[in-house]
Amino acid sequence: MIQWSEQHLMMRDAVRRFIQDEIVPQIDEFEHGDTPPYAVLRKMFRSFGIDEMARERFHKQIDAEKRAAAGEAAATTGETRKAGGTAAADAMAMQMIPVIELCHYCPGMVTAMGVSVGLTSAAILSKGTTAQKERWALDLLTLEKVGAWAITEPGSGSDPFGAMKSTARRDGDGYILNGNKTFITNGPYADTIVFICRLDEGNPPAERKVLTFVLERGMPGFEQTRPVRKMGMHSSPTGDLFLSDVRVGKEHLLGETEAVTSRAGTKDTFSSERTGVAAMALGIVEQCLQVCVEYARTRVAFGRSIGEFQLIQLKLAKMEVARMNIQNLVFRQIELAAAGAKPTFAEASAVKLYSAQAAMDVCLEAVQLHGGNGYMAEYRVEQLCRDAKVLQIYGGTDEIQISQIARNLLAK
Amino acid sequence: MKILVTVKRVPDPESSIKVNPEGTGIVESGLKWVVNPFDEIAIEEALRIKEAQGDVEVVVVSVGVSESQEQLRTGLAMGADRAILVKADRPDTAAVAKILVKLVEKEQPTLVILGKQAIDDDSNEVGQMLAHLLGWPQATFISKLTFAGDKASVECIREVDGGMETIAFALPAIITADLRLNEPRYASLPGIMKARKKPMEEIDAASLGVDLTPRVRIKKMAPPPARTAGRKVESVDELINALQTEAKVM
Ligand SMILES: Cc1cc2nc3c(=O)[nH]c(=O)nc-3n(C[C@H](O)[C@H](O)[C@H](O)COP(=O)(O)OP(=O)(O)OC[C@H]3O[C@@H](n4cnc5c(N)ncnc54)[C@H](O)[C@@H]3O)c2cc1C
Repeated sequence: MIQWSEQHLMMRDAVRRFIQDEIVPQIDEFEHGDTPPYAVLRKMFRSFGIDEMARERFHKQIDAEKRAAAGEAAATTGETRKAGGTAAADAMAMQMIPVIELCHYCPGMVTAMGVSVGLTSAAILSKGTTAQKERWALDLLTLEKVGAWAITEPGSGSDPFGAMKSTARRDGDGYILNGNKTFITNGPYADTIVFICRLDEGNPPAERKVLTFVLERGMPGFEQTRPVRKMGMHSSPTGDLFLSDVRVGKEHLLGETEAVTSRAGTKDTFSSERTGVAAMALGIVEQCLQVCVEYARTRVAFGRSIGEFQLIQLKLAKMEVARMNIQNLVFRQIELAAAGAKPTFAEASAVKLYSAQAAMDVCLEAVQLHGGNGYMAEYRVEQLCRDAKVLQIYGGTDEIQISQIARNLLAK
Repeated sequence: MKILVTVKRVPDPESSIKVNPEGTGIVESGLKWVVNPFDEIAIEEALRIKEAQGDVEVVVVSVGVSESQEQLRTGLAMGADRAILVKADRPDTAAVAKILVKLVEKEQPTLVILGKQAIDDDSNEVGQMLAHLLGWPQATFISKLTFAGDKASVECIREVDGGMETIAFALPAIITADLRLNEPRYASLPGIMKARKKPMEEIDAASLGVDLTPRVRIKKMAPPPARTAGRKVESVDELINALQTEAKVM
């Protein structure tokens, strides 16, 4: 893939218009006020039929699963298992385009949306039983409900399983859950929460199995804090979760069996989260570049436009190089989808590492290019700069991506 | 029922327009092109009629360059059923109206909805010419359209100087859409994917047997004069004097 297709551009233009009509006029409300992003995101899903498509795809998948369970497996595998192709590529592209466009203005909204529609529903879809998928995943895919995915704890982030303190204890045919989760995107507003913990059988913590549960807002003993204040991504509410003796039935354990290997599933989740960062970075870089070129043309110093100074030209040229590189990484994801393939874990890490760093570099230079105006909220690069920083932290820090890329190289 | 809706390819109103050095037209390279905003309103109205009445076919029509396919596909993505492109090189409004007459004869629509004008040339002529050539009733600049119970006639509210005018007439008819008629939908994701498979017919204007000789000749195009900077006046008298003698508004 070397460029967006006519269909892609049609989608892009339509989404762009939606953002100009529905988000830009209220951006201060989203970025500096207390207006959560969900209503406008839901409106976007409805306006573009994203919910309708998700529903269709979901029902198809569930029907196939049910037929397979009823012993019709042989009949269905031939017809429905055709991975890849233009349909898969288009699905991937159409998913990335709103991400890129929203990141021109509100990367936080993408974080909130991605965690709910992507991470949380993906966790349920990859490990849940058919009944669990029907109960929780569809409403997340359509954004009818807000989802959160909780692994990080006050004492464990980069090494989430190593020091994980959250526990599940067996209690009759159910479980009693305890623990604290922190930095949880959508935590304050989530209806459906994926909670990762260890099964405490009285054995040493390192030997305990990892289990994944689904919690619902309002369960006795389950507390969701208000949004915490943070550096950027203000249109994405982040909070803490506290569980004290939350009693759940077995139907809340994903897969309804302790034999499910939660760690492998989590790796898949990380992988798609990481490649998603490339699309976010592309949106941020495109926007920085556009406003910087305009500013370089019109801002005058020493009697000429600052775009005539070579030091400013260097900044613009580097931004363009970053934009091209990240766009190519995005196109590669679409190509992989067309081939019915997925990036390896190490490749996903490399994509995230590069995109996050490049976006941060571009944002800092964009602020610099704007001088004092760059430091002022009015000029938007200030916000993008604060927002971009988190791309190097969440979904695995830069340092963790580096060690995972290197480990993969050295293992060869 | 069948509804014909016109779609013109026009420069994006957000883009900055430059007149070419020869003064014969605008610089087209690098321009972004969109569906004429009033035509989007026309498409939306047709789709709403379809949604309300069920058995309605919406056909979008464009007269112009091959690339107008893109704008027709936007109409299909919004929900129109099929598209017709009549290829013609810069037809003037009379030529477009004559071409549309041929299409109306072929398609036999009950209603033709046009935008009240295209935002490039702002001529505001095609709807009126088409109604005249067909001898059909017309309502221009409409802000509301209501079907009678038997669906054989409509009532329209028109935005005219000094107020609103309500007129009713029998179908078939021509109407042109004003800004407040509706708020057009966005092309949806499933709509965009389905648009690819919807039929798009191409017709060469020359094959329709109409006289395409331009009646309008553009002699010269020039940008409006740049605004001169304002100045401060010392007194009310000086202001009144300037308004009378320089600005000539008093
Ligand atoms: C805005 C935001 C939203 C988030 N949303 C979610 C969410 O929805 N769900 C969720 O579960 N979590 C979420 N997180 C948590 C996020 O994933 C973690 O913050 C991140 O993984 C880093 O963990 P930590 O904060 O504990 O840092 P630590 O692990 O304590 O790291 C501190 C520093 O040490 C470095 N470091 C650690 N280990 C190594 C090593 N082996 N080699 C070299 N350097 C190392 C790190 O790179 C970092 O620089 C979110 C975080 C933020 C900021």
